[in-house]
Amino acid sequence: MMDRETIICRCEEVTYEELITTADSYHCSARELKLRTRAGMGICGGRTCRFLIEDAAEESKEKVYENIPLKYQPPVRPMRFDEGGKNK
Amino acid sequence: MNRITDHPVLGRTEKKCIEFFLDDTKMTARSGETIAAALLANNIRTLRYHEASGSPRGIYCNIGHCFECRVEVDGKTGVRACMTEVCSGMRVYRQQQLPRPFQEGGRER
Amino acid sequence: MNEAEVVIIGAGPAGLSAAIQSARCGLRVTVLDEFMKPGGRLLGQLHEEKKGVWWNGIEEADRLYEDAVNSGVHIRLGTTVYHIEKENRWVTETSEGTWESRCLLLAAGAAETPLPISGWTLPGVMSIGAAQVMTNVHRVTPGNKGIIIGINPLTMAIARELQLAGVEIEGIYIPPYEKKFRQMETPEQILAGMQRMAHLAPSFLLRVGSRFLVNQWTRQKAIQFYPKKGLSVWGIPIHFDKTVTKIIGENEVKGGFISSINAEGIIKEEEQYRKEVDFVCISGGLYPLVELAAVAGCPFYLIPELGGHIPLHNQTMHTPVEGLFVAGNITGIESAKIAMVQGETAGLSMGKAVNGTSRDIEEKLHQSVQNEKRIRAEALIQFHPEVKKGREKMHELWQNYVKESAAAKE
Repeated sequence: MMDRETIICRCEEVTYEELITTADSYHCSARELKLRTRAGMGICGGRTCRFLIEDAAEESKEKVYENIPLKYQPPVRPMRFDEGGKNK
Repeated sequence: MNRITDHPVLGRTEKKCIEFFLDDTKMTARSGETIAAALLANNIRTLRYHEASGSPRGIYCNIGHCFECRVEVDGKTGVRACMTEVCSGMRVYRQQQLPRPFQEGGRER
Repeated sequence: MNEAEVVIIGAGPAGLSAAIQSARCGLRVTVLDEFMKPGGRLLGQLHEEKKGVWWNGIEEADRLYEDAVNSGVHIRLGTTVYHIEKENRWVTETSEGTWESRCLLLAAGAAETPLPISGWTLPGVMSIGAAQVMTNVHRVTPGNKGIIIGINPLTMAIARELQLAGVEIEGIYIPPYEKKFRQMETPEQILAGMQRMAHLAPSFLLRVGSRFLVNQWTRQKAIQFYPKKGLSVWGIPIHFDKTVTKIIGENEVKGGFISSINAEGIIKEEEQYRKEVDFVCISGGLYPLVELAAVAGCPFYLIPELGGHIPLHNQTMHTPVEGLFVAGNITGIESAKIAMVQGETAGLSMGKAVNGTSRDIEEKLHQSVQNEKRIRAEALIQFHPEVKKGREKMHELWQNYVKESAAAKE
């Protein structure tokens, strides 16, 4: 068993305890779990923890995903305002 | 010394020494390496303090994915130390914990 | 606005090999990469293929880079891609401006799978790939003495590389097991996977005895009676009966709490002790970095044998999205040699997409697809033992997709 105080989302410092108690209380999807806890919403865009959030939200890891549970969206890296719309 | 100067398979490396600054302290780097490598070679592992909790952070993925190593470089914030080449005279600052005046109803913490 | 016939994202083994082939087909090619050196994951690689013959990733990267430049490829390093979009042509938005192209190849490779462990945010804890790049590319050691958590082909290869550079590895341990997480395996499951590492850890297999690996029961016994000091490979102890429950230190890593575990990964509370080290490597394996394929609207399928969700593609590296191609680890986790040959295939496919078909290009494409199969069959290391099955699954999914879209059109 993993220590429940272990940080899962490093950017937003969301612990395993917060993720599973939220998942248990609200029976929520990966997306809802992310929105409720901010896990996966930090500066790295969930590149490190996305699978862990997806699994914390689901009943079992046996479940086969046809589609990607947590959506990817642009920009895929944080960008500076002065880099937007520039045609060098 | 944590530089590998003579590798049994890759051989020797000799690169020019340059100087840069971390939090206004002078450091030595080798030309062509990243800020992250230069700092590690100077035995610096803490690259920033978490903006909310203040917990120390260092390099984690070293290939630009995790954004743990972001530092301020010559006035530009959020620069990944692992993806950015260190340059002579460069001024690097560690990100510090940010004030949170609106938590707990705006009272001073 | 910058313009090219082919834009390639990723200057690793797949991206550079593709660039060379497309340029040789007469196309104008631009390669974009975030890092300041070309080569991608190749840069860190260094392993002995057979006695005295080394796979030196830096040399391979240099060779590919020179070939690409000599073939007229434009390579833009230090360039971060934010977004790709299909208008009439492909539009790639980057930190250094916008590129427009007829064809777009995604060769962004893989990211490392995290293994969350108490204390893993401490400075001095890094992914094993991070330690590899520090050691072999920048020639800076991650520390003096470290532990590695996680046992897979990457662990075995990089542990050896760290050791070559004079870094002491105190031991290699099983990650703490949590059944909720799909990437976590029990010690027994991890031991079952050791067979695919025969080339990387021959002495280990000799000592455990491959007959102990044959079924679940024998593997459980092997862990139950596992030597307390571990079994060594190149003098590095591997502990199949121990995990690291907590990484300790206040401002940076000072050590770890080691706990004995059984074959199912349950911790034995009474057998815990502390080890002093100054760095920790987390080795969870690799997963395909598919974010750009997802943004481009490519359909996905989960194929665990290939390392996760994989964008739908065929053997000539086409996706169902017009003008969008994939190659390398984004199509499944395999060696750099596979990435190179897939890149060659993709480069030829883009040549065909722009110039039209010819007997010559069809022959070359056919040859390149055959080469991929041959290289896979000859591979010494498999990241997943069932990778061939995974590739076959993808091939079937593609055929079904083609059939279904043809039926939908009628």
